[in-house]
Amino acid sequence: MIDHARNAAEFLNDPERAHWHDRALWFVREKRDKAARSVPEWEELRKSAEALKAHTLEHLGYYLQRFEERAKANGIEVLWAEDAAEFRRLVAEILQQHDATKVVKSKSMLTEECELNPHLESQRIEVTDTDLGERIVQLAGDRPSHIVLPAIHMKKEDVARVFAEHLHTDPDNPDPHYLTRAAREHLRQKFLEADAAITGVNFALAEEGAFVVCTNEGNADLGTALPDLHIACMGLEKVIPSAKELGIFTRLLARSATGQAITTYTSHFRRPKPGGRLVVVLVDNGRSRLLAEEHKKLLSCIRCGACMNTCPVYRRSGGHSYGTVVPGPIGSALAGARDPERFASLPFACTLCGSCDQVCPVRIDLHRQLYSERREVVRVPEYRGKVRGLKTAAFLLRHPRLYAAMMGLGRVLLPRIPRRLLYNRFNLWGREREMPMPAEKSFNQIYRERKR
Amino acid sequence: MTSREKILTRLSGSMSTPETKPGLGFEPSDHPDLLESFVASLKAAGGEAILVEDPERLDERIRDTFLGTESLIDTRRDDTVDLETMKGCRLAVFEAAFGVAENGAVWIDPRERSPHALLTLAENLAIVLDRRTLVPTMHEAYARIDFDGISYALFLSGPSKTADIEQALVIGAHGAIGLKIFLL
Repeated sequence: MIDHARNAAEFLNDPERAHWHDRALWFVREKRDKAARSVPEWEELRKSAEALKAHTLEHLGYYLQRFEERAKANGIEVLWAEDAAEFRRLVAEILQQHDATKVVKSKSMLTEECELNPHLESQRIEVTDTDLGERIVQLAGDRPSHIVLPAIHMKKEDVARVFAEHLHTDPDNPDPHYLTRAAREHLRQKFLEADAAITGVNFALAEEGAFVVCTNEGNADLGTALPDLHIACMGLEKVIPSAKELGIFTRLLARSATGQAITTYTSHFRRPKPGGRLVVVLVDNGRSRLLAEEHKKLLSCIRCGACMNTCPVYRRSGGHSYGTVVPGPIGSALAGARDPERFASLPFACTLCGSCDQVCPVRIDLHRQLYSERREVVRVPEYRGKVRGLKTAAFLLRHPRLYAAMMGLGRVLLPRIPRRLLYNRFNLWGREREMPMPAEKSFNQIYRERKR
Repeated sequence: MTSREKILTRLSGSMSTPETKPGLGFEPSDHPDLLESFVASLKAAGGEAILVEDPERLDERIRDTFLGTESLIDTRRDDTVDLETMKGCRLAVFEAAFGVAENGAVWIDPRERSPHALLTLAENLAIVLDRRTLVPTMHEAYARIDFDGISYALFLSGPSKTADIEQALVIGAHGAIGLKIFLL
């Protein structure tokens, strides 16, 4: 089981860095607030987005088939993958058909989820992540810690060290401008050499048989511009009815993600370039199962990352503490729904403050989802002690006399037991918290005395 | 059974053709002065608007704005461009179909006229836009796009940028480092 609390404790070992991380994300959250307030109909936009996503999921089978039909009519190939393994195999096969050995990839959380890079590398295909944040973590041999800001956990000095090693930049120059320029030169070469491009998909349009990719850097656009082969990877839930709805989603996405009014590049792909090949791979990998359950709403997510930026737990524990590709509230909820045993601790990585619900552009009731998942995940053996403790407490609360007796005993014993004995390994409460020191007299005692 | 069939079987409860779909339950916000909003939004996106009052002098204004740009590709005139020329391109001129006041984005559909690589390879972009085409929000923007015939087209809002290193905004990631829009 992933132990979020333990991982978070590790992150907090460096309080200065943890504070810096917290501030960096809060800065993004504030930019989001400003952007949202600049649109008077913001709340109505969110409601429309919520209704549209619910509608699309209600008719997901229909819209996916419609998308397939229309995309094929535009000359796009559409493939379906049941799970991560099939997805990896399909992508590798297509690349091998083209003798592609050098691939440029723009950000796609789906390819991270399905661990595409290691598979392609094992087939001697070089994959270059071209989003700057992703390239930084790729070169560092690290993983993204945020879906929109993959390298948010790294300081500019860390980046300078990584670039010095791989791109031969000055290790003592951590200027973001200087480092970004170096990455631009380095990646420009990769773009020019590439045999194929892989991108994600932000929105697939059923009616138009087209899809949209959003970036700020232009890496999806430059990546797909030169090679003849473009493979776009999408989860089933990315389809929306038509381009008309893009009005709603493009207004919400970037404002929620980074506080920009729109991403710099909002690019629409509808046909392969002359003589080229355009393939869309539709990936299920557990999504259709979620559709049938109470967690259906989680499939509405448009991956803006706003819930992470606002989350008091995420900001103070870092993306890696979740042990998932998608961290934060949405990541916890998805992981808890998909694999409640492995990710049992994630629904508890939440204070139930509900801040995520308030910023979510598609109004997913994240904290409620996490709360309801807790009932499911407490069944893992790791939580046996907690469950037993709470059951004992419930028993005591149902028996007032016994409760009063125990409390009386506690008042006498608690202040007298040596600290080392009190904070033993069975004291789960005391692991992260101080035990409260009891008052000399109980409320009942005082009440009785006053009455007299 | 193929994977497609297996997935669609699992989705069998969601196969029905929708009779209606939710519409916009509100009126998009108004931008009384479209030009003013557009100029401000573009500035926020890192771009710059240049108002051209005399259409006759457009080319002159472009040349004056980007002094010393010899390697210019003007997609309004030059039909085909090879990769080598594009790689060294300091300035590319594009025409945009319309602009969006709320975010400074312009709709560019290069079609077969110009390779889409030029949009990102060129160091600077000069975009020509008729100010009468401005629309308030993305709702009106999508309402006017006809997807028939499009291969690749985009909304472009300012020059390429990134803030992936410590949230510090750097203009010029993989695409254009500078972007100016000439409003006729």
